[in-house]
Amino acid sequence: MESILDLKNYNVTYINKKENKRIYAVKNANFSIYKGDSLGIVGESGSGKSTLAMGILNLLPKNSSEVSGEANFIGKNLTNLSEKEYKKIRWSELSVVFQKSMNSLSPVHRIGRQVEDIYKVHNKNSTTKEIYKRFSHLLSLVNLPESVYKSYPHQLSGGMLQRVSIALSIIHNPKLLILDEATTALDVVTQGQILEEIVKMEKEMDMTRIMITHDVSVVAASCNKIAVMYAGEFMEIGKVEDVLKNPKHPYTKGLMISFPSLRGKKDKIEAIKGFLPDLSKKYSGCIFEPRCKYAMKICKDTKPETIKLGDGRYISCHLYGGGKNE
Amino acid sequence: MINKLKKINSIINSDTQLRLGVYGIIFFLLVVMLAPVISTHDPYNYGPDVLNKISENDHILGTNNMGQDIFSMIIYGARTSLMVAVISALISGILGVFIGGISGYFGGRIDHFVSEIINVFMMLPTFFLILLIIALFGNSITNVMIVIGLTTWPSNAKLMRAQALSLRERTFVKGAVAMGENQRQILTKYIIPNGVFPVVANTTVGMSNAILTEASLSFLGLGDPNIISWGQMIQAGKAYITSAWWITTFPGIAIVITVTIFYLLGDGLNHVLNPKHMTMKGGK
Amino acid sequence: MEDILVVTYMEVERMNNNAYVQIKNVSRWYPHKSDKKIIDFNKKWIKAVDQVSLSVNKGEILGVIGESGCGKSTLGRILARLEEPTKGDIFINQTSTQKLIEDDPRKFRRLVQIIFQNPFDTFTPRDTILEIMTRPLKIHGIGNNKGERYDIVKKELESGGLYPAEDILRRYPHELSGGQLQRISILRAMLFDPEFIIADEPVSMLDVSVRAEIINMLKKLSKEQDSAVIFISHDIALTRYISDNIAVMYLGRIVEYGQGDEIIKNPQHPYTKVLISNCPSIDPEEKIMNIKIEGEPPTPIDPGPGCYFAPRCYKAVDECYKKYPATEDVGGGHLVACDRLNKK
Repeated sequence: MESILDLKNYNVTYINKKENKRIYAVKNANFSIYKGDSLGIVGESGSGKSTLAMGILNLLPKNSSEVSGEANFIGKNLTNLSEKEYKKIRWSELSVVFQKSMNSLSPVHRIGRQVEDIYKVHNKNSTTKEIYKRFSHLLSLVNLPESVYKSYPHQLSGGMLQRVSIALSIIHNPKLLILDEATTALDVVTQGQILEEIVKMEKEMDMTRIMITHDVSVVAASCNKIAVMYAGEFMEIGKVEDVLKNPKHPYTKGLMISFPSLRGKKDKIEAIKGFLPDLSKKYSGCIFEPRCKYAMKICKDTKPETIKLGDGRYISCHLYGGGKNE
Repeated sequence: MINKLKKINSIINSDTQLRLGVYGIIFFLLVVMLAPVISTHDPYNYGPDVLNKISENDHILGTNNMGQDIFSMIIYGARTSLMVAVISALISGILGVFIGGISGYFGGRIDHFVSEIINVFMMLPTFFLILLIIALFGNSITNVMIVIGLTTWPSNAKLMRAQALSLRERTFVKGAVAMGENQRQILTKYIIPNGVFPVVANTTVGMSNAILTEASLSFLGLGDPNIISWGQMIQAGKAYITSAWWITTFPGIAIVITVTIFYLLGDGLNHVLNPKHMTMKGGK
Repeated sequence: MEDILVVTYMEVERMNNNAYVQIKNVSRWYPHKSDKKIIDFNKKWIKAVDQVSLSVNKGEILGVIGESGCGKSTLGRILARLEEPTKGDIFINQTSTQKLIEDDPRKFRRLVQIIFQNPFDTFTPRDTILEIMTRPLKIHGIGNNKGERYDIVKKELESGGLYPAEDILRRYPHELSGGQLQRISILRAMLFDPEFIIADEPVSMLDVSVRAEIINMLKKLSKEQDSAVIFISHDIALTRYISDNIAVMYLGRIVEYGQGDEIIKNPQHPYTKVLISNCPSIDPEEKIMNIKIEGEPPTPIDPGPGCYFAPRCYKAVDECYKKYPATEDVGGGHLVACDRLNKK
């Protein structure tokens, strides 16, 4: 299977020069996504999931951030690319939809005009007719009428604008689409429909997707793989059915218990006690240990290695091995 | 307590203009407080050394046509300027904050009415209004200060009103209503204390304007002749500008420096009190 | 203002007159400024909340769900009397709150409390938690001196699991986490032993792993206090977890009401069916079986005269546009405002 994105030892650190502080936002990220996958990266605030996305897209502020490691995108290592080379692949091969993408549209231009602008970045010589035809097709994929092309942003609702943003993101048929909390600001019904449209669209265009969200149910409904992040590190990665039905990492377990079920049993939901650790410090042990119900002595001293459990399941926890023997 | 001082210190040092403004104000206040110590002569003394040049007969900056030492006059003139600045700013600030706060918080007809008054005031040429009132009611320094305060409150009111309008929608104000606080309590405990920051910054600029206004009034002969003020000095020295230029020049420089200090302070405060610096968390 | 139909749409049959909190025919209309005319003879109204009648018993938690624009937040504000209703009244223990707030507003404020959505903005940034918590006590004359009030507040914090209370009382809001702030918000509301609590999206701004704590605390305290609670949320799974009964709002009206599980598992109103079916579940095997719906909810500017949902309803027929549907009880107090229930 073709590997679309392969992260090896990927690190993102924010640097506060004034106070001489380093914030380790993403530590040692390792995962691989293959063609046709839809990976949901789940995490709460401070987990580093958005930072990871911004790092992959090279959208982090240059003077106050540092990226190291490898991010192999179809053979190219993104960490070594210059901004010029990035410009060539951004939007044409690697695309993104943000939470409030609707706000990124210019309020004083018609949608069609903006689409043409964006399209011509990578295809200078395309004609208006071509672009219209292409975009109308995309509009139909997201259940929007053709009349949207001639509208102004203020004439459309939030849900419609977000759909326009999604359509725009796939206009060049990118290989990888990253959605960063793209449906969080939307209503349940709109979100449900957009998720369905995305899944359908993905199949038709043979696209690979990364979905970043704090809402596990969104991942459950639309992704085939899930990666759970906490305080900048990956706790557990695997197939959605496996991880959600049978969570192994204590953090994943804790997350699942904090979500009430819609139709199932009304089991008592529980919060995960404790607070996020200070991301400016380095920890010799497991970063989740202070809040872990199952913590053992080794968890405090030694950081667990990532163990492969088979069938695409990875876990960083001493409960499943992962410690170096002293 | 020490932490608070440290925090204030780091805030002051974060913005160049604020830093310069604060040092300037400290310097200014020292001059005002140590006036009897610093000045070489009694400025009110009509001495025998008339129209002395710079550093003639121990007069650092010379004397005027009445034998008064210019240097000492400038030092004592600082007191006048400070008094004018502070009192007129206080009057203007308090009036502006309450009127603007009430207008913005209550809204409706009160707001319409007050906004119209503010608009009228902003249309009036304030300086001419001041001239008129001084001409009618006399030119004592007290009148000058009160009049400046009474004519400059609209800009503060406008700022406070805008703050009040946005603050009344804040959750903690709604929470106060839900807790049973009455409108007066909400205005004085939540709206005004949280909205007063831009007014403070505007007031420092107002202070420099007040100093200039007083100087202009004195220059036009409408100031209080019993008090030493820089504007007075410039007016008195007008006749001698070609022969004894130091009589008008030095007070002029003093005005420029003082006004700049206040302006730097106000501008720096504006930078620091900018909402971007204030952390108002609103979720992720 | 037009003549409002006196008939309430959620009938009083369900609303046993013994219910502790009775919301009777509450409406909140805003004038719609027509941009063309100066004197507008055909005044239009934005009917944010339209003829809502509900009842909540002591110790009961009533969940109100709906999407943005349905009016649930406006309803919350009206119940907490942060806004006046255009029409209608709320009765607590047979007493009219309209009258109560005129005669003894402070008593009303002790009876009815609200928990807000944004814990980061619920408290004034300039006061310590101690000042924030003791101020309402001072205003209502609870506690005779500073010392007594301090003890009351300290005890309250400790009962809510906030240790060490002395430390937290000394802090300012910006030094605390969202979860802590929301807990303090609930505890402050509980200082008065309120009888009616409105929780307006209390956890939507909090991290997922913290929500459970707040929800459990709210449930525990309100049951202990035997308060009537209205829980407003757009998170359907969460609402089902905490609520005894659920009301569904659309464009200012209640379209369905019933016992929590019944509404989720057996929704009858077409809108509720769309809402529930589009709700993602954390169970990956329960794939969403979306019922399609066109467009977005419109602004409630003079909706009607028929059913407000008709323009987007997959079951709508001509009659639906002519008159507003009657409320049917489909069994066990499960009320639905729809005329097309048993038809395809």
